[in-house]
Amino acid sequence: MEKCLEAYLEKVEKCLKPLPGSERVDIVKEIKSEMLELQAEGKTAEEVVARLGKPGELAKAYLGGLITKDTSFSWKKVLALCAYYSVAWLSGLFVIPVLIICAPAFMLCGILAPLLGAVKLVDTVLRLGLPGVQYIGITGVSSPVLVFVLSAVFGVALFLAGYGCWRLLVLYIKRMGRVKTGLSL
Amino acid sequence: MNLDDWKSQIKRGTLEFCILLMIRQKPIYGYEIIQRLEQYPILAAKENTIYPLLRRLLKEEYISSCWQESAEGLPPRKYYSITPKGQEYLAAMSTEWEHLLEAINQVKGE
Repeated sequence: MEKCLEAYLEKVEKCLKPLPGSERVDIVKEIKSEMLELQAEGKTAEEVVARLGKPGELAKAYLGGLITKDTSFSWKKVLALCAYYSVAWLSGLFVIPVLIICAPAFMLCGILAPLLGAVKLVDTVLRLGLPGVQYIGITGVSSPVLVFVLSAVFGVALFLAGYGCWRLLVLYIKRMGRVKTGLSL
Repeated sequence: MNLDDWKSQIKRGTLEFCILLMIRQKPIYGYEIIQRLEQYPILAAKENTIYPLLRRLLKEEYISSCWQESAEGLPPRKYYSITPKGQEYLAAMSTEWEHLLEAINQVKGE
């Protein structure tokens, strides 16, 4: 069997972890059987994979019945609930506020830094003598050109860091949301 | 689009019924079910719908399964057959289906 198909089946099997071993084996065997049927009809491995969809999604379809049908009480569910809410609480206290402040702050500084560096450079080159410009600078760096270059580099880094914080925040919130629906609470 | 929503609701409501009807006719394997359903656009469904549905029917003991070896060059296949419990369930669904059709006809006629 082709490598990409074997890899596909391995991925499905991994995502089926919540199910007992014998069921996992049987499910994979059935999917493999269809793969071979499709190939016997003349389909390529790429076509087979495209038809079946993402392995994680296929596995999820099998797991769908697990949680929503199981309305019984269980200590495992209680623990899962507690774990979810404690993590949610933690994120409420720390992660989200930190990220929500850092993201715009870093991005703003990332824009301001090179702007100020540019102002200093323009002021020095054109000898404008704008008030307050003498306070713009980096300790130990005398050349305004260097100041501008460094502030530009610093600015870009800061902006990227701010953007990174923003992406992290969005990812975090999405994942918490997904975990919640996954637990179907 | 509303029509598409409605059609997918219809499909969701009748897929189980259709699959059991097919299984009752003769023992059939998963891919064969998918192929046969493909002939009817309103019923056509993908692997990630059909296989989990079959597993559920199996768990609820409406159908039973059995792996069988195939001819040369073809993979072993998991054949599904209907159980007595499945026959009863199917008979009950058929009755309700007839009631539904009758009701619709009457509503149409009014």
